[in-house]
Amino acid sequence: MSKNEEVVVDYKKTKKRLDGRKMDEIRPLSIKAGVIPNADGSAYLEWGQNKVYAAVYGPREALPKHTANPLRAVIKAEYRMASFSVPERKRPGPNRRDMEISKVLGEALERAVFVEQFPNTEIGVYVEVVDSNAGSRVACLTAASVALADAGMPMRDLVSATGIGKAFNELVVDLDKAEEDAPDAVDIPIAILPNSEEIVLLQMDGLLTKKEWDQLVKTGIAACKKVYEIQKKALQEKFKLGEASEKLVEEKVGEKKVNTEKVVSKEANKKIKKVKK
Amino acid sequence: MKKIVIPGELLSVERKRLGGNVFVSEGKIYSKVLGISDDESDSASVVPLQGKYIPQVEDTVVGVVGRVVFAGYGININSFTESFIPKSAVREQLKVGDLVLSKVSNVNEMREAELSFPKRLFGGEVVEVTPVRTPRLIGKNGSMLELLAKGTNSEIYIGKNGRVWARNGNLELLKKVVLFIEENSFKSNLTNSVEDFFKKAVKGN
Repeated sequence: MSKNEEVVVDYKKTKKRLDGRKMDEIRPLSIKAGVIPNADGSAYLEWGQNKVYAAVYGPREALPKHTANPLRAVIKAEYRMASFSVPERKRPGPNRRDMEISKVLGEALERAVFVEQFPNTEIGVYVEVVDSNAGSRVACLTAASVALADAGMPMRDLVSATGIGKAFNELVVDLDKAEEDAPDAVDIPIAILPNSEEIVLLQMDGLLTKKEWDQLVKTGIAACKKVYEIQKKALQEKFKLGEASEKLVEEKVGEKKVNTEKVVSKEANKKIKKVKK
Repeated sequence: MKKIVIPGELLSVERKRLGGNVFVSEGKIYSKVLGISDDESDSASVVPLQGKYIPQVEDTVVGVVGRVVFAGYGININSFTESFIPKSAVREQLKVGDLVLSKVSNVNEMREAELSFPKRLFGGEVVEVTPVRTPRLIGKNGSMLELLAKGTNSEIYIGKNGRVWARNGNLELLKKVVLFIEENSFKSNLTNSVEDFFKKAVKGN
């Protein structure tokens, strides 16, 4: 397909989206909590083609000191895209878009965290996009809130986000790149606190009628709640109740590489030797 | 039944006695952190699974001397802010990297801890654990601590800030057991499993 040739699709006729999804269906989403050992809390997220790492450090002393607020903690969010995360190489430094997204992410998370509990401190939230295909800011926000909860931060609620909008003459949820480039595309990232349905992030690009808008927000909130269930499962999966086991410890010791010869069982030792060979 | 709750999860719609790590919104009780909650108990509370150390009065902490200034020492107690011990409070001079056992005598609104009765720790080793899990290392009335000291034959101090200091005895075994307790801190019947752990270790040697 040449560059100027436009895709002529009408979702009203096809009843199905370009990648086969229903109109209110999100792309396959999976989250894993606690993937970065050096961070206080972390998460890895795959949402369609988007792949995102989030790490949380803190609360810690706010530096430089003039950024500290004596009444509450400051959330320093940083959104970065890897240079290989987009088809054409991205220059690695933060650009205008990165700075804007960092700002809105931090403000959305600030609403969820009990920041007044930690005066004069900062909470560092770092999200790195390693692969992207539309909707990376909502993916980052979803991952960051899981990472915050994983760090044991006191929070009002998790933040669940999704993209909503219009493409090819139909209202859709979680747009991908092809839909975002549609001639009549409207793209709205939305993030809510699922319990109170309070909206913490809302940006819009395109034109909608009021009727369409009302319907979209409703479907958006429903989609966010689906995302919330997956976030919840990711956090619960990290800890499983039951009897204590040594297996966990063996795994952990293997990770930290402390005195492996003595600590791990004979079987594990054999495996280690094999790997060494 | 005990279950794992996430921040913002609904704990109870009824009125209950409020324990730690919960908040009330429109008459309903919600969890504040990732942790474990027992919904059969008559108070709503959550035991956290992760988190930083927040100093509280009467806590025993193991601190590290981070810097030396004219009037005293800056002590790192694994919290957001550094604590201070004046030179007049200690008998001998301390160096950067020395270990100090101390009690938190006061905490101000900025969560800065004031330390009292500093005691220098000589030799030994420090194992770091997640601060919120130290209560399991101590156990009810210090039962777990007793077990640890007996099993490894060493002298142990447990700081609430997530630092375990030990001297003499079988330190390698102690490190293993502490890691075992930390990893399984949210599971039931831990004292018995730790006893089994020691029995196995004795057989292994």
